[in-house]
Amino acid sequence: MNTKLKVSKVSKIYPGCIANDNVSLDFKSGKIYALLGENGAGKSTLVKILSGVINPDKGQIFLNDKLLKLKSPKDAKNNNIGMVFQHFNLFETLSVFENLSIDSEKNNDQLRILVNNILKKYNFKINLDVPILNLSAGQKQKVEIVRCLIRNPKVLIMDEPTSVLTEQETEDLFFSLKKFSKEGILIIYITHKLKEVLSLCDEVAVMRKGKVVSISRTIDEKLSSLANKMIGESLNKIKKMTSNNLSGEQILRVSRLNFNSEDPYEVNLEDINFTLNKGECLGIAGISGNGQNELFQILSGEILSNSGSIKFRNKEISKLNPKERREYLMAFSPEDRISQAAVPSLKIYENVALNNFKTSNFFERGLFNERKIKDHSKKILSNFSVNTDNVNLTSQFLSGGNLQKLILGRELITSPELLICFNPTWGLDVGAINYIHRTLVKINQQGKSIILISTDNDELLQLSDRISVINKGKLSKIMSAEEVNPEKLGLLMGGGLVD
Amino acid sequence: MNIDINFIGILIGAIMASSVPLILAASGELITERSGVLNLGVEGMMIIGAISGFALMVITDNLFLAIIGSMLSGLLLSFIFGFLTQSLLTNHVASGLALTIFGIGLSAMIGKDFVGIPGKEFPLLFVNLKEAIPLFGPIFFGHSVVFYFAFLLPFGTNYFLKKTKIGLIVRAVGDSPVSAANQGINVLLVRYCCILYGGAMCGLGGAYLSLIYTPQWIENMTAGRGWIALALVVFATWSPLKVLVGAIIFGGITILQLHMQAMGIRIPVQFLSALPYIMTIVVLVIISRDSRKIKLNTPTSLGQIFYKEK
Repeated sequence: MNTKLKVSKVSKIYPGCIANDNVSLDFKSGKIYALLGENGAGKSTLVKILSGVINPDKGQIFLNDKLLKLKSPKDAKNNNIGMVFQHFNLFETLSVFENLSIDSEKNNDQLRILVNNILKKYNFKINLDVPILNLSAGQKQKVEIVRCLIRNPKVLIMDEPTSVLTEQETEDLFFSLKKFSKEGILIIYITHKLKEVLSLCDEVAVMRKGKVVSISRTIDEKLSSLANKMIGESLNKIKKMTSNNLSGEQILRVSRLNFNSEDPYEVNLEDINFTLNKGECLGIAGISGNGQNELFQILSGEILSNSGSIKFRNKEISKLNPKERREYLMAFSPEDRISQAAVPSLKIYENVALNNFKTSNFFERGLFNERKIKDHSKKILSNFSVNTDNVNLTSQFLSGGNLQKLILGRELITSPELLICFNPTWGLDVGAINYIHRTLVKINQQGKSIILISTDNDELLQLSDRISVINKGKLSKIMSAEEVNPEKLGLLMGGGLVD
Repeated sequence: MNIDINFIGILIGAIMASSVPLILAASGELITERSGVLNLGVEGMMIIGAISGFALMVITDNLFLAIIGSMLSGLLLSFIFGFLTQSLLTNHVASGLALTIFGIGLSAMIGKDFVGIPGKEFPLLFVNLKEAIPLFGPIFFGHSVVFYFAFLLPFGTNYFLKKTKIGLIVRAVGDSPVSAANQGINVLLVRYCCILYGGAMCGLGGAYLSLIYTPQWIENMTAGRGWIALALVVFATWSPLKVLVGAIIFGGITILQLHMQAMGIRIPVQFLSALPYIMTIVVLVIISRDSRKIKLNTPTSLGQIFYKEK
């Protein structure tokens, strides 16, 4: 069965933003199509139009040369268009089976047989009678996929499906998608991850600022060519100059740090020792959940270690809280931008005022000096090229990349001596990652020090002067960046190499 | 001491009768809240149900019309709430509080002409069985049709939520209206229906007071029962059968403490009056302490304003 999906001159305009500008695309079954673009390029808008969640202002969609009227998600479903959203559309408190049965016309017994057949066919292991909130992200996604498969989809749209998956889950997903494609389902794969496009998809359409800027076969593309198309300029490869600006002056010494937690979900840290020099970037690699969270929190003062010392510029700081540590010119950028670093419902300038350095004088006799904070915030927005100059904007309307720029800007504008950041580029698109990497290199060159805790090995190898690996709460020997390569890092992360 | 077995039967029957308005209002509100809507106007809808039922009874001399009218008036009031919160996207809490204040005021105004008018006798079912069977007779028989309806309602509600497709859809909307809309469910329609149903049940609960329980109109005669019903829903962790348990305990201790006061037991009256509130909360907290169940039963989107993307 051949399926042809045609998007013809679709436009969608929001106040102040053209989300889709005359988008035309052709899809045929048997292939996996990538829709590539940065955050805010208009991919999600197009997907919402295809799934009937929103209606386009102009343009048409044809399925097998028949004009589709997609007024609501029901219409898309009835035309066998299946959709797996980036943020799962599942009901957390209902059981897996209840989630599947809610939009099915079949009776429960028939449906159960059908679902069990699907689970068996694709080797999905999901218990149908547990509530969704007990499932892992990968399992939830499988539930979403099964929900589409129940309706014999002709088209399956996946919106950034790997953003919440582990590496193993991602591999499983790719395997399934290839299988679906062989069975004649047309697959449209939306992503901003270049590697996934090359490893999974047959054709790629690149979107930028609401427009389709390129359509090509993936075998004709390379990582760099796709990246250039996606951000519309060529990226300067960041070259880290090692050691020529290291003064050798020690700025931080962590010794015999131990942390034992009563919470079974936290990782215990064992005998952490390292030093950090002025102008140096120390990378800490590791598979997530090996104690990075705990290490970051102990270094920032959110939690205190059971024993050991942290000396920052020869002062013992291990018992100080984050605010006091900030006063010693340390700065922190936590992993979770939304819940730890910023309050999404506050305005930009309010978020800036949240971490009140002693030097900033935002408060006078307990009162908020709004003008001072706003001026200060404007400076951050322009210095760190956040794509708005409106300090009254509610922070949740910033994209991930811009929010991260704002947070880094807030931390860096007071010129701290040490920045500790945890996965600073997680979930960001290429352009934003590039900007943040350049910023980190720049502050190193200004003689400031960085501890970079990250699960992204490319990033670590690119930016670090020395690297250590954390595994089950223990740090490996600290190595200089030259003696580390991706293979060695991988072995250490898996605990395979003991030195 | 010779305890009259019939007295115990009558006492239990009275306890059950006194919990009827709570069961009705709380069961209605439970459905409303399960769809993610927090309507704090229960007290207002009950009192409006009470006065409109009584007024219709006086005017038409027809109890059936009075009962139907009380439900319609509760429904009408809840429609105002639904329109405000669902169509105009106002805050649930503020709109609900306003509804209660409005209902109490309006009922007092309408009720001015009906103070002091005696009520009409409401037909009771199975009266002969009540006399015939000792102990169980006065407990189970000789009650109004609304009484039986109220005691079946929590079981029906439970079945509706757990076993029917529409019940599943209501729970889904309460869990995540955005996901529900993306699945093609008409969230607004579901929520409106749940709000209107809740309003009708509150109206009926009010009418039970003014037509059956104490057949007369007294200003502010619901006396906070709407708030108790609201609290019952929460403390019963949105489970219909626990609402039933809670309502009976509340009604029971209310009646028992009155008897204790009458018997002259030397416990401060203030403490006895507070006892129903304390005991209901204690018991419901104890029977609902399974944190997993609480998580599964709590409508995640409760009180959140939902609007559809265009």
